[in-house]
Amino acid sequence: MIPGSKRGRLGWIDAAVLAAIVTAVVAVAYRVDSVLEYRWDWSAIPNSLYRWDEETGRWVPNLLMQGFFTTIRLAVLSMIPAALFGAVFGVLRTAGRLFPRLLSRTYVELIRNIPPLVFIFIFYFFISSQIMPVLGVEDFVRRASPATLRSLELVFGPAALIPNVISGVICLAMFQGAYMTEIVRAGIQSIPKTQTEAGLSIGLSRWELWRRVILPQALRRVIPPLAGQFITLVKDSSILSLISIQELTFLAMETAVSTTRVFEVWITVAGLYFCLCYMLSLAFDRLEKSAAAART
Amino acid sequence: MRFTGPRSGKALAALLALGAATGFQLRCAGPQRSAESVVETIQRRGALKVGVSTFEPWAMRDRNGELVGFEVDVATKLAADMGVSIEFVPTSWDGIIPALLAGKFDVIIGGMSIRPQRNLTINFTIPYAHSGMGIAANRELTADLVWPDGYDSEVVTLTCRRGASACNDAARLFPRASIRRFDDDIQAIQEVLNGNAHAILSAYPKPIEWAGQNPELLFLPTTGNLSQGDEAFGLRKGDPDALNFFSNWIRVNTTNGWLAERYDYWFKTTNWIDQVRPGSTPQQ
Repeated sequence: MIPGSKRGRLGWIDAAVLAAIVTAVVAVAYRVDSVLEYRWDWSAIPNSLYRWDEETGRWVPNLLMQGFFTTIRLAVLSMIPAALFGAVFGVLRTAGRLFPRLLSRTYVELIRNIPPLVFIFIFYFFISSQIMPVLGVEDFVRRASPATLRSLELVFGPAALIPNVISGVICLAMFQGAYMTEIVRAGIQSIPKTQTEAGLSIGLSRWELWRRVILPQALRRVIPPLAGQFITLVKDSSILSLISIQELTFLAMETAVSTTRVFEVWITVAGLYFCLCYMLSLAFDRLEKSAAAART
Repeated sequence: MRFTGPRSGKALAALLALGAATGFQLRCAGPQRSAESVVETIQRRGALKVGVSTFEPWAMRDRNGELVGFEVDVATKLAADMGVSIEFVPTSWDGIIPALLAGKFDVIIGGMSIRPQRNLTINFTIPYAHSGMGIAANRELTADLVWPDGYDSEVVTLTCRRGASACNDAARLFPRASIRRFDDDIQAIQEVLNGNAHAILSAYPKPIEWAGQNPELLFLPTTGNLSQGDEAFGLRKGDPDALNFFSNWIRVNTTNGWLAERYDYWFKTTNWIDQVRPGSTPQQ
């Protein structure tokens, strides 16, 4: 901090804004408390997160934490195909030929202009229910040897839920891929055309031009928006609860109905999502900083 | 900038071939499914997959996160009688019929009442339960309303769970009242507790339980049934073998009294409540 700099101190405007915010929060809390006829009871929450298993004598995750882990799995697993769709279609979007551009544009526009919820309903009931039996995931899991099953469970979670998780991943990856396509396209197109011309004029091949000139710069530029999209993906995974993918939101609904502690459960779930997404934001901040540092 | 050309031509052909293959698959899936009865599928698989939706006391999560309830007892015995293992597929209520049609499970055992509109889409067995519809009202708001005629008035607001028979009953019995539909019962009862609505319609034992928990706020205008439901298993159409098997399983277990005994345990007592929620005292 520079001596005499005002940046570290609270000015009177800051104090006034802070006071106004505190007043508003207190007022809302008071209103909620007086208008809402609700007996708060948080006693059911700890057990919904972790429970003591008598048989094994260990703490095991209960519904909410099971859902939380499934959400993390869904997010990480769908990130891979989503990034792949994004990269492939993003490059196709900038292609010189008409057909690749038509193909990727159709994909992007079709998905971007349908609400995620509607897309997921259509995709899950009509398309995924045709794809899944063809893939034979369910039969495969049923017939898998214990060793295969263990490694599958490590990646996809409990065996009974594997087909369920995979359909969730496909749905999420399909619609997140469209947004990633646009980010990748913007990244590539942000590299001035003059660089392509310069590269070609010094005799680089098309492939070398991509590998040495365009992609390194484009990648650096798309990291921040891609990070943001990944966080959006985590939050959007809650939509999958409507097609009964057993993730955090779905199991929270089940817990809320069974314990009848609806507000307590949802506040806990909000806290879990916040922790996950905030940790991701911090991680991406560091990634960005180290990417910038590596460059200089 | 060309649409034709050797490479895009090949890609287009490949795409068309893929489309044709998918179309072929789609057409094959139909007859195959109806050719084999779901009963055979279950036996070949060695597991019965049942679609359930969390709704008290049909199917709930106990303190260990396991499914318990009337439905769970019924499905477990059904699977045991068939000599296969049981797999529950928890499904949200709104999507349970599409999920059945999409083949996500074999049968809906989800407290679903038989309704002609639903029956146009799926098949129903004979009923395995007859749930009653009850009503719980806000004491203060309904102090000067006479049951039942006073509740059929423009000033009255009723709540119910969307997609359940409660909303149909509310509209039929109280046509003048305004009806607010909620995603689940908890939000619906909250509106009555908050004094934003006069009463809630819901299937027993919920009204009894709510009035027991909030005696100073709620009461039961009547303990009789506003209507009586016919709950049945839901099956995909075009499978007479499965319909016959499940219906006769229900008939056998109605005659020997097993269904009635389980029904009484889950609907006429709240002895199970401690299993589901800590801290609530059971009441007879």
